Amino acid sequence: MAHFDTEYQRLEASYSDSPPGEENLLVHVPEGSKSPWHHIENLDLFFQRISFLHYNEQFDYVYNLHQKNGFTCMLLGEIFELVQLVFVVAFTVFLVNCVDYDILFANKFVNHTDSSKVTLPDAILPVDVCSARIRDNVFVIFIILISGVFWLHRLVKFMYNICCYWEIRSFFINALKMSMADLPYFTWQEVQARIVEIQKEHQICIHKKELTELDIYHRILRFKNYMVAMVNKSLLPVRFHLPLLGDTVFYTRGLKYNFELIFFWGPGSLFENEWSLKAEYKRGGNRLELADRLSSRILWIGIANLLLCPVILIWQILYAFFSHTEVIKREPGSLGARCWSLYGRFYLRHFNELDHELMSRLSKGYKASSKYMNCFMSPLLTVVAKNVAFFAGSILAVLIALTIYDEDVLAVEHVLSSITLLGVCITICRSFIPDKHMVFCPEQLLKVILAHIHYMPDHWQGNAHRYETRDEFAQLFQYKAVFILEELLSPVITPFILIFCLRRKSLEIIDFFRNFTVDVVGVGDTCSFAQMDVRQHGHPAWMSAGKTEASIYQQAEDGKTELSLMHFAITNPHWQPPRESTHFISQLKEKVHREASGGQQGILTDNAVFTSTHSLQSDSEPHSLIANLLMGPPSLSSLHLGREGSINPVSVGASEGASALRSLSPISSSIHLRGSYPSARLPRPDQPALAASRAMTGSGTDAQTISSGSSAWEGQLTSMVLSEYASTEMSIHALYMHEMHKQQSQGELSRHTWYRQESDESSESVNEDLESTRNFPRSSTFPCTTTPHQEGAAHHSSRQQRRHGGTTDSVPGSSRVQRTPRVPLGGWSEETRTGRHHDTVPEEGSEDELPPRVHKVRSVTWATVGSF
Amino acid sequence: MNCRSEVLEVSVEGRQVDEAMLALLHTILLHRSTGKFHYKKEGTYSIGTVGTQDVDCDFIDFTFVRVSSDELDRVIRKAVAEFKDGLGNSGNDGMGQISLEFYQKKKSRWPFSDECIPWEVWSIKVNVVNLANEQERQICSEKVGEKLGEKVINIVEVINRHEYLPKMPTQSEVDNVFDTSLKDVQPYLYKITFQITDSMGTSVSTTMRRLIKDTLAL
Repeated sequence: MAHFDTEYQRLEASYSDSPPGEENLLVHVPEGSKSPWHHIENLDLFFQRISFLHYNEQFDYVYNLHQKNGFTCMLLGEIFELVQLVFVVAFTVFLVNCVDYDILFANKFVNHTDSSKVTLPDAILPVDVCSARIRDNVFVIFIILISGVFWLHRLVKFMYNICCYWEIRSFFINALKMSMADLPYFTWQEVQARIVEIQKEHQICIHKKELTELDIYHRILRFKNYMVAMVNKSLLPVRFHLPLLGDTVFYTRGLKYNFELIFFWGPGSLFENEWSLKAEYKRGGNRLELADRLSSRILWIGIANLLLCPVILIWQILYAFFSHTEVIKREPGSLGARCWSLYGRFYLRHFNELDHELMSRLSKGYKASSKYMNCFMSPLLTVVAKNVAFFAGSILAVLIALTIYDEDVLAVEHVLSSITLLGVCITICRSFIPDKHMVFCPEQLLKVILAHIHYMPDHWQGNAHRYETRDEFAQLFQYKAVFILEELLSPVITPFILIFCLRRKSLEIIDFFRNFTVDVVGVGDTCSFAQMDVRQHGHPAWMSAGKTEASIYQQAEDGKTELSLMHFAITNPHWQPPRESTHFISQLKEKVHREASGGQQGILTDNAVFTSTHSLQSDSEPHSLIANLLMGPPSLSSLHLGREGSINPVSVGASEGASALRSLSPISSSIHLRGSYPSARLPRPDQPALAASRAMTGSGTDAQTISSGSSAWEGQLTSMVLSEYASTEMSIHALYMHEMHKQQSQGELSRHTWYRQESDESSESVNEDLESTRNFPRSSTFPCTTTPHQEGAAHHSSRQQRRHGGTTDSVPGSSRVQRTPRVPLGGWSEETRTGRHHDTVPEEGSEDELPPRVHKVRSVTWATVGSF
Repeated sequence: MNCRSEVLEVSVEGRQVDEAMLALLHTILLHRSTGKFHYKKEGTYSIGTVGTQDVDCDFIDFTFVRVSSDELDRVIRKAVAEFKDGLGNSGNDGMGQISLEFYQKKKSRWPFSDECIPWEVWSIKVNVVNLANEQERQICSEKVGEKLGEKVINIVEVINRHEYLPKMPTQSEVDNVFDTSLKDVQPYLYKITFQITDSMGTSVSTTMRRLIKDTLAL
């Protein structure tokens, strides 16, 4: 006892004057107050909020070049939303009741004593008349009441949210040790890694000692995964065959809200709380009874929707009017622009893919997609549009000329309005006239699109030029105008879909939830598809043949399980998949690698194309360094592809540069650095240039002594390039898997005979897409490697050394290291050459970005080094 | 969700209900109680002593150990008695569940009440059987005794696992973790609730509560 006593007392220096007689007691030190973050009740919401706030910060950052406090931005945003709501209602009521339109339209004259000018205040009715009119109008009062209730609800929610996010904010600051100002620099992966760290220390989840990335994703995306799976298995009634319109997809936000209400959180929903399905739904015994209950619930919710329909409809119209009119007036072309439809977002979403990941993926595919859609201009429409534009243009020109001559023309009735109308008309017509320099190469474009969106039905392959394909793609990628229209119609149509279509599916839904829900320890009930288990849900036609034991009912369509697995493994390199999946991933990677190095077909020929396109692109000056930085990763990746993580990622391409650098700034730390970089599958793609920057600063300081504050830019750079790299790798794999799938299902590679050779321009166009994919904010001001933050640069360059080191240093695995990259290098560099010389584009070829930029990387490194 | 849950199932005769429940609840609480904390300067504290005492059951062939705190015993007896009454009143052949929930309080700012976050829930499902004659009762009393012995070992095994426990609090926070209302012993904050029959369907109030919470959280 005495022994313990002394030991505890030693910690507390000031603890010396304890009252006599108590020295013999065991004295303890409480540990409680250190963090309030252990054991959080609702981890689902907690993680959701973290990801949201993090995303918000990033979002905020991307658009506000200056670092602002994202929390305040969010606060302001929400406040303005509330204000907007009040404004919409108040302004509408005012317009309806308090304006004397007779005066405004000059149908009635006002008798002014001093002047004949009509002023705006003249047109506004006096307050008492106005309020009397409002009071008499029952309908208006009704609307005001409804919106008042709605507003109060929003207000309460707002208050609640603020409190929650304030808490999350302090979690970021205190537990994750990220200040809000720095938050935008961190990628989600980094935040996640810190959360995993935190778990070890604070046990925010009490079931397990350690959290995995998958656990966090499961919690954030629990319901979304269910929805994705339901769309994947075509369980939700969103596709309809209409007599006139043919196959259509109708999926709006209102409908989605209702689905979620029914399944996940509404009164009497299938879920007991955020994390567990009600027990009775897990048993198969009384499925019929449960289905009955569900269908009657759907009926009631449908009826409620029907009753509330007028209110929602009015709200939608008002909201659409106020939020879109201004934009349409400013740029009428925006109606002709396209956006990814809500259905598309669910169809294209991987299991376990966060919102921001999906959005960035889709945004990268946007340009190619709209280009693809523009390929299908109907020639008839074009001719008509050209002529309409001509006539409208000439009238407009005359009117404008007259106005310039004498502006009294404007005072003539309807002249101003006709000018406006003609302008709009011309803009609309112009959107129907295809670009003169457009090249029609749908097959290639579709490949580029596929590289980003990762999913497409089988029958699109080889049919890219057909209108059917285009129409189906239009379901995923709809006109903005159609989107708005659907949203407007939604309140009317939703109740009918619920009552007549969804109800019929109630038994299937019950079965779905029973069959595809698994209870994961520490996570709760999740959709079993989201486990991404190839064995349980793999599709034999998607490379998991032999591994899958799934029945047709259990197979995820479109290779979703496989692609999701790849995507998740690539975006979360630290994640340890279960053994089956590891096997699958490594096998696939090896195959891709083999294909690449063998240089026979498919993907490799594509790469040749890309080499050429890239060499085209990189010649343009302004991007030089950043572009090359970004070009770097794919080349490294390609070298690296087939390898498993434990090997130190070395690229032969960069090795020369690296050794050159070493001669400039000798570093001996490469060995231990390599040790600290154990199992990441990703090479650090940003190294060459950073190494250059290191050489430039000439600092030999050790890498580990960086302060994250000063290296914020570089940190951002690293993470962005890393994520860029990951998305590239995923694109390669998606394309490869689709290619394999095609071969598997057709037995042979289909040759599309229908193809127009427009090599130069097509590569040009692809090239443009490439640029669009590197949507790299602040590229002009990006201080990529020229910022001489010594520590930061040192840090990164040492990481670089970590990678390059393998080429020269004697390492245990050096023989392996020498061997592995050699093969791909030969393949790639040869491809590089062939790619340059051949001007024709091979027909399969149009992957977006797999540039084997080995030579380029090297040369840039050299150049930079040379200049200093 | 973020809480462990353990389920124990016992079948007992009507008159054995309270003793069986007391035995299990007391066993759990014995392991989830500490002596009173005496805080000193500089954030250290010493722990008081806890006495234990054996309790012999009348209707079951069983003896269990409980914390020798009459106050705690009284509180638990009261809960168990209510449960037994509920079982008796329910009319049908007596299925019920009594759960002992350990929780932490989290202080919130003014407009919200304190959150109670459970970290461990023990649910004891009780199945009441009717016995015909004295001999069966005799056998039953022995059998139930054996079963309870198993359960106690079961409980100890669970508790011995190295799993999450709230961290020892500082003086200001001791009320968030421990029930300090008792004079001689200091169990973790706990709550005893019970449900009669298999009425797992959610009641109106919980549904409403969740509805409000969900809309807020949305």
